[in-house]
Amino acid sequence: MKDNHITDIIDNTPFVDLSDSELQTIHAHTATCVDCERAFAAASIASLLIKERTSEAAQYTLNANPFFETRVLAAWREQQAAPGDWSFRRLWSATGAIVASMAATTAALAVLTFVAPADNATNQQIAAVVPYSAETVVLDQDQNDNQLTNDQVINAIYADDDEGK
Amino acid sequence: MKSFAGLGSMEGWLTRIATNTCLNILRAAKRRPELVTSDLSDNETEWLERVSDSSRAQPLDAEQKVIAADLAERLLESLPAEDRLALTMIDGEGASVHEVAEVTGWSESKVKVRAFRARKKAREALEKLLGRTGH
Repeated sequence: MKDNHITDIIDNTPFVDLSDSELQTIHAHTATCVDCERAFAAASIASLLIKERTSEAAQYTLNANPFFETRVLAAWREQQAAPGDWSFRRLWSATGAIVASMAATTAALAVLTFVAPADNATNQQIAAVVPYSAETVVLDQDQNDNQLTNDQVINAIYADDDEGK
Repeated sequence: MKSFAGLGSMEGWLTRIATNTCLNILRAAKRRPELVTSDLSDNETEWLERVSDSSRAQPLDAEQKVIAADLAERLLESLPAEDRLALTMIDGEGASVHEVAEVTGWSESKVKVRAFRARKKAREALEKLLGRTGH
């Protein structure tokens, strides 16, 4: 039966970093367990493969242009050397949203201040010209008009009856 | 270039960008199915037999190094991108868990888990290959 403890050891640590005590434990176990012996061999080969691939990739790295970093840094300094354009862009990117919202608020306030009062004045002029317009009825209600009182209405209705008697 | 504040090292900044870019490319690429014996060339089969036989253990010559690198590439292609990165950096380049965490932005626990899973998958894939090549 396979002992998972051995595979846990070899999966937990890079193969080349296995300590002497871990290697002793592994060898003691693999002497009697064929499956774990194969697992240990596979781990050893996997480690070898990864190492070989890394060393080959390092060859490409060594062949890279040695002036790459110098050129990148030079390009970066060049960008920083144009202060006007750079600072305006940075400023705009930092404050663009708030400046735009402030402009929109100012425009809205201007509309409310200058356009809305003009509309009220127009309504009042219409009310003055048309005597029985809706505005006149609502706005120019006269509390002292010539409405009849209740007594006068009753007298007017029953006056004929009284005369008949 | 605009995102580089010039405060840290350029190497670290570039490494992180390169790492994340490569991870995105690897994630986007369709993962190959597991490596099976029929995928191996004669040279690769012979190489596996040679290295698994401790009595024939010898330093690899230039041709064998190329075979090993190609086999390793195909083995790594069968792993998820993040597992592959952790395994390559820790077991291949000898980076510490802390260094990988810094470069990738992952927690150290995640790095350990990724490396553990990658080692296990790579080992199991090779075990299958060794079992089928007669070892």
